[in-house]
Amino acid sequence: MSEAATPMVSRIDVRGMLWTLVRTDFKSRYHGTLGGFVWALLKPALMFVVLMSVFSLIFASTPHYRLNLIVGLFLWDFFGESTRTGLTSLQVKGFLLTKARFPSWILVVASLSNACITLSVFAVTFLVYLAAIGRAPGAAGVAFFLLYLALFFLIVAGFSLASSVLFLRYRDLNQVWEVVTQAGFFIAPIIYPLDIIPERYHIYLYLWPPTPVIQFSRTVLVDGGFPTLKAHVLLVVAAAAVFAAGAAIFRAYSSDAAENL
Amino acid sequence: MTVIEVRQLAKSFLIPSAKRETLREHALHFFRRRSFERLDVLRSVSFEVAAGETIGIMGRNGSGKSTLLKILCGIYRPDSGSLHVRAPITPILELGLGWNPELDGVDNVMLIGTAMGMSLRQARESLDEILAFAGLERFAGMPLKHYSSGMAARLAYSVAFKAVRDILVLDEIFAVGDQAFRARCEAKYRELSARGHTVVLVSHDLRIVSTFCDRALLLDCGTIATVGSGEEVAEEYRRRLSAV
Repeated sequence: MSEAATPMVSRIDVRGMLWTLVRTDFKSRYHGTLGGFVWALLKPALMFVVLMSVFSLIFASTPHYRLNLIVGLFLWDFFGESTRTGLTSLQVKGFLLTKARFPSWILVVASLSNACITLSVFAVTFLVYLAAIGRAPGAAGVAFFLLYLALFFLIVAGFSLASSVLFLRYRDLNQVWEVVTQAGFFIAPIIYPLDIIPERYHIYLYLWPPTPVIQFSRTVLVDGGFPTLKAHVLLVVAAAAVFAAGAAIFRAYSSDAAENL
Repeated sequence: MTVIEVRQLAKSFLIPSAKRETLREHALHFFRRRSFERLDVLRSVSFEVAAGETIGIMGRNGSGKSTLLKILCGIYRPDSGSLHVRAPITPILELGLGWNPELDGVDNVMLIGTAMGMSLRQARESLDEILAFAGLERFAGMPLKHYSSGMAARLAYSVAFKAVRDILVLDEIFAVGDQAFRARCEAKYRELSARGHTVVLVSHDLRIVSTFCDRALLLDCGTIATVGSGEEVAEEYRRRLSAV
């Protein structure tokens, strides 16, 4: 084996590079116009209005279900979009990998930015809506919700780190992942309430990471309660484990990423 | 002081006779033995570069020059051998190609500048200088897809010249742009060299190697065929080419 094969590289301004990637990504997506920026904000907000209007016709008698559905759909949307862009992040930005040496995880993390912007707009819109209909959660509820979002980001980052390097080796991973997310939509209790599944199966549904995030968020935002301490500990451990596993796979495979492009 | 020390470096690429790139292929042919053709791009290459020295690497297409540069820059991993690089390295590799075509000149400067180790502030502050060096001030706001390939390459070199830290690695420099730009590049190179930067440059150009390089090595089929002064190696390269 080779020894000391890592040459010294110029120190990288990680934050500067991350910011540049996020900014230019955003710019090429929305063509850098003011209208484009407004559109980025408007899209999730409009989506919220559309879903809310449709569901108030269909599920007029069950406001709880309606709110739960919206929370589930938006959190799921974040998971779907971010893991999809994360998976192709190294391949899409391959032109940088073959030209310079910098920590390549920056590309993966930067690719998640658009989904994060959408999710943040949704979170604000939803909280404002709850306040408007007089169901605003307390400060603790909001804090817990933000914690779940942070843990969700960690989970998504773990998935993306692993899939981005594996995708360079297995070029049909994106097709496979599409099927997995398709099935995952129904494994997570998004369109159906968890209660209709017999209790003994719940544990299996909770193994799919979006499930606990969606369920816990509903508890603090819609039901006004709090999950147990044990449930929180499990979620934190699970998020840390997913992230650690993703980071380990990334470490193992990212060093020859440029050779597999 | 030696800044680059390469000992018996080897690198080969496996070219599968039936390439498996997908999970489906891996699953279908799980029990079938995979056969590969081994392409030894570099076999036991050893050399040293002293601080402040300019070393040229010559060789025909496919002799392993670009692979060697990529290993020096840490973009590829060597299979065996050792490599010690004792100063920060700034690579200028395949720069004309494949930047982000949707973004304009300014954003591409920021992107590649930060990837090459400039801080965001440095990149912003040297923006005008970079555009001026490339002679592209008028086109700063134009998406790169509308640039000619020469213009894109000029921009790339300007960024890299500005981003350079200590060791500069140049792949086929002086081969892009028009006469005026090449003259600016040569002047820039002289300036950097005079300031004590170490330079590793790959070129097919006999004049470049014999004028600029203190030393040069000639790669042939993944091994070093000749080491000598710039003139000697350029002469040997010319002799081998005309012998074919």
